[in-house]
Amino acid sequence: MKEFRVWLKLTTNTFQQVLTNKFLMGLFLIAKLLRISLFLLFLHFLFQGTDNLAGYSKDQIIFFYLSFNLVDSLSQTIFREVYRFRELILSGRLDFVLIKPINPLIRTLLGGSDLMDLFILGLILSTTIWYGLKTDPTFLNWLLYLVLILNSLLIAASFHIFVLGMGIISTTVDHMIMVYRDLVSLGRIPVDLYIQPIRAILTFVIPLGVMMTFPAKVLMGLLSPEYILISILLSLTLFYLSLRFWGYSLKHYQSAGG
Amino acid sequence: MQKYWTIFSLSWQNEFTYRINFILWRVRNILGFLMVYFLWSGIFLTQTQIFGYSQNQILTYIFIALLVRAMVMSAPSADNIGSEIGSGDLSNYLLKPVGYLKFWFTRDLSSKLLNLSFVVLELTVLYLIFKPDIQPPNILSFLAFLISAILATITYFFLSTTARFIAFWAPEDTWGLAFILFVLIESLGGGLFPLDILPDTFYTILQFTPFPYLLYFPIAIFAGKVQSFQILPVLLQSFVWVIGIYLLNIILWKKGLRTYTSAGR
Repeated sequence: MKEFRVWLKLTTNTFQQVLTNKFLMGLFLIAKLLRISLFLLFLHFLFQGTDNLAGYSKDQIIFFYLSFNLVDSLSQTIFREVYRFRELILSGRLDFVLIKPINPLIRTLLGGSDLMDLFILGLILSTTIWYGLKTDPTFLNWLLYLVLILNSLLIAASFHIFVLGMGIISTTVDHMIMVYRDLVSLGRIPVDLYIQPIRAILTFVIPLGVMMTFPAKVLMGLLSPEYILISILLSLTLFYLSLRFWGYSLKHYQSAGG
Repeated sequence: MQKYWTIFSLSWQNEFTYRINFILWRVRNILGFLMVYFLWSGIFLTQTQIFGYSQNQILTYIFIALLVRAMVMSAPSADNIGSEIGSGDLSNYLLKPVGYLKFWFTRDLSSKLLNLSFVVLELTVLYLIFKPDIQPPNILSFLAFLISAILATITYFFLSTTARFIAFWAPEDTWGLAFILFVLIESLGGGLFPLDILPDTFYTILQFTPFPYLLYFPIAIFAGKVQSFQILPVLLQSFVWVIGIYLLNIILWKKGLRTYTSAGR
């Protein structure tokens, strides 16, 4: 409860800070909307020259892309503090986080969620539901979709914890979060499009398929119950490993710059 | 000239100081390539041609795109100029006997040379994996490709630095405008797909913007998608964009310096 109050306070502060510069916020929102719209436009034009992409229809491919954006935007909103972590390490200010009576992982992972993305999240969510309805899902499909979206967020949390841990161990790395972002962007298209063994790696080693493709597939009724179970087990294992890695990295913190 | 050569040399050494960063940056480029490659491969599972392109032509296109991106878009200046103006660090440079924009252009060239040498290695590995049937261009097309890529590099430098000059008037907005510009280049520059697959009206409108001249036209010239009689007009249009954006850059730089108060110093 204490952690929740701190998170709420930090998030409120971040949001107020963002609101003080409405011009910058406007530019960000325009850029993010442009990025999504232009890729959708590209998919639209692409399907003027073909009627399917590896067996998927235009609406299905768009739904895959929108589901990707839903998970991506949600994780950017929730874990935005990770993007500011490097500065905390380089300046040595992580010392001040560690000595405070709050779990440092919660502070560095969730502290200061970026509510700016909430504006476009509403738009992404409504468009995703609109395209999802076109695939005639049942109530159970929607329920499983929601479960797998939450599962994706757990995987995203694990990836972000790994990035935090790497930041502590190697102070020279500042591209790590961007590598994560590029890795995740491979999920803009269903992992079925990648050849083996890349597909297997993207599904089970770096569970990008589980994170970005599986939720959309379950809504379309294209995912068997075994895969749903494997997805959940996989994300729980990854989350556990990321927590162990975080603990390991903290033991190696050298307070460089502090 | 000697001082810029020293900057070039120091910048080159600096890149090697942060080796893991550099390797990760290269990894990011490969990831981008893979996404585009497999997206297109998915289409060719069920057909042999799309918008007049065969699978091999598309593969050639995205291979060359990786090379041109390394040449045109690797630029440390793009990450630094805005924050230096916003934080007042620009003053340090203004006191020194170096041109600020020349300083960053030199650093960009150093970064580009390093990236190009690595991209050649990556392309070799990718070539051995995917084995595309890349047809080498004739001498004329190759020369035109080089000129076009150099013009694109200069255009990108002036375009990205001009976007950063917003920091003179809004020090906290150092990369808001640049973010929009980056999204437009990513989507409409031709790195993801050849722009001539777009409907004619859309394609024609795009030619009145600088974006196709940054990636699409250099790649299309190399891949032989631009007819010989069209090459000169394309190069002229690229040149006009260089001049136009350069003039805008200089005007905004001068106006910006008049506004600059070195806040934070």
